[in-house]
Amino acid sequence: MSQPVVSIDNLVKRYGENVAVDHFSLKIEEGEILGLLGPNGSGKTTTINCLLSLLTYDKGDIKIWGKEMNPSAYDIKSQIGVVMQNVAVIDTLNVYENVDFFCGLYINDKKLRKQYVEEALEFTGLTDYKKQKPKKLSGGLLRRLNIACGIAHKPKLIIFDEPTVAVDPQSRNAILEGIKKMNKAGATIIYTSHYMEEVEELCSRVVIMDHGKNIANGTSNELKSSLISREKIRIGLPNKSPEILAGLKEINHVYKVKEDADDVIIKCDGGEHNLVHVLSYLTDNNIPFGHVTTELPTLNDVFLEITGKELRD
Amino acid sequence: MFLRIFVYKIKELSRKYWLVGWNFVFPLVLATAFFLGFGNLIKEDPDTLQTIDVGYVNQLDKSAGFEQVLKELSKENDEGTTLLNLHTYSSKDEAVEDMNSDIIFGFYLESHDGIETVVRSNSYVSTIMNEIVREYNNYTDVINDIAKKHPEKVPAAMDAISSNNSFISEHSFGQNTSQYLQYFYALLAMTSLFSSWISTSMLEGMCANMSECGKRVECSPASKFLSIAAGILAGTLLQIVSNIIVVIYIQYILGINLGVPMGTMIILCSIGSGLGISAGILMGSMIRNERLLVTVPLFFTMICSFFSGLMWGQIKQLLQYNCPIINKINPAALLTDAMYIRSTYGPTDEFYQDTFIMCLMIVGCLIISTLFLRRRKYVSL
Repeated sequence: MSQPVVSIDNLVKRYGENVAVDHFSLKIEEGEILGLLGPNGSGKTTTINCLLSLLTYDKGDIKIWGKEMNPSAYDIKSQIGVVMQNVAVIDTLNVYENVDFFCGLYINDKKLRKQYVEEALEFTGLTDYKKQKPKKLSGGLLRRLNIACGIAHKPKLIIFDEPTVAVDPQSRNAILEGIKKMNKAGATIIYTSHYMEEVEELCSRVVIMDHGKNIANGTSNELKSSLISREKIRIGLPNKSPEILAGLKEINHVYKVKEDADDVIIKCDGGEHNLVHVLSYLTDNNIPFGHVTTELPTLNDVFLEITGKELRD
Repeated sequence: MFLRIFVYKIKELSRKYWLVGWNFVFPLVLATAFFLGFGNLIKEDPDTLQTIDVGYVNQLDKSAGFEQVLKELSKENDEGTTLLNLHTYSSKDEAVEDMNSDIIFGFYLESHDGIETVVRSNSYVSTIMNEIVREYNNYTDVINDIAKKHPEKVPAAMDAISSNNSFISEHSFGQNTSQYLQYFYALLAMTSLFSSWISTSMLEGMCANMSECGKRVECSPASKFLSIAAGILAGTLLQIVSNIIVVIYIQYILGINLGVPMGTMIILCSIGSGLGISAGILMGSMIRNERLLVTVPLFFTMICSFFSGLMWGQIKQLLQYNCPIINKINPAALLTDAMYIRSTYGPTDEFYQDTFIMCLMIVGCLIISTLFLRRRKYVSL
């Protein structure tokens, strides 16, 4: 079995009395896109900073490609690309110079660097803006420049720390597509976010963090299938008498019926054709109803069930 | 990699508007303001020795020895300068008339009562004129005394005097020693110390605990020492260029002779730039607050410049009398002192001492900064 690209074992990071990362362990295999999901302050960025040796930690081991990571591990660093949460570019250099400068920290060969810079600009759609200063770029283009600076040297492990914060939907899609392409080209990706939709769409495996702990680990489907709630039906119901609600709860696989303003939310723990059964009950009993929607569980539901709070709380 | 970081740091820093404004434009504006304030006082400085137009009125019946002395002093000496431009008059009234018309500064009136010096006003010129008379009287007294006591030794005494007949010799006190020049020296010191925020700005972009760019640089395989060294070199070079521009502007465009040979001035400016840069590195290695990275170097520069006499020329002398150690630890005072000494007295021991202390400060700042930055090998975010 090949060794993992990243191996974090029992990592502990404290800020005084506050434990930011609490005995966190993680292994990432080559070619994975690992989503590190958690609310703000859950310890994602601290874990990434420890992984990159930007932070000391109190306990634990971090290995990348089987070698211990430390600030002087230049051979490891040369294979890592980092896209920071905040835009990290130099305001006084233009787009091309920024990418060239950061790529130049990794690639010495001038000809190869030029080729890589051009490719990174094309990849991020910035070729037409290469003479522009960062201040002249829109928020989305600036994010793309941030990505170009992090990936121009063609790293084997790329860490994206919430790269789509404050990005318009069009740029967000472009960024996500770009990440998929990089992964197809062979890069292992760590993607931190608190946008569960992105993580569901992008990641082959998800780790959910809260209070510095690894509270769930698996593919998106694995995590969702571990939930009691498999289906959520929302119905606009004008008459919410106790008899009607009790009748709904007696339907097979329905385990919870909850009022929500003008609607009723019906949670089912499995089974098939749950919506058909619910609608049959309503029509058979001449109970008037309005709109009907059905939702499959999301990672937010996983998080809610594990922690009792919303992911974006 | 070093060269690439160096080139990009030059590009990055030289395109910062505040840097160009404070480090390049502001010193020129201030130099112009100083020039408008007291530029003429410097150009007409008494210490810049100029040929003195003097008159001579002989009221004796015979030719006098003193007139011969004045004629000797009107000849060009070995150093190519002429002390006096002699005008002879037959009457006192003629001499007074020329003096009042500013043709001569003053005149000697030699009569049986002795030699009288008549001047328009007291100044260094009148002092020189009096000194000439005093020296002449000393020599004649000596000769008269020897003639009375040892007449046989008069020829030997005359030979001795004639072989040492320099009544007034011009000592090489440098090219310009005006007290007002210290404002320009203090200005150059201030310009040099402004580089302290070049280095805090440079460090900000290099250290992970200071900026996002710093994180990116520290995540890369580029050595932190190498990156910072390239940045220091870029900052120092920019500051040296800034200083040289200010020196050239003062010396050749404003026409104020700073009194220090250009080569020495460039060396002193380079040391001053090194001082500012290394002080900035020290501050940057200790400060973690982004706002303080700007305010502390600014405060440091202005305080040091104030105590070196930028705003009030007498402050340095005051400190020298009351608390001389401040002048020895204030980098701006050391730099202005070195320039002043080199300009006034030449390359004396004190000049070298000041230069040595400044170099020591640079090395000290860099060593302490290295220790601070090494301790942050793992940064604290």
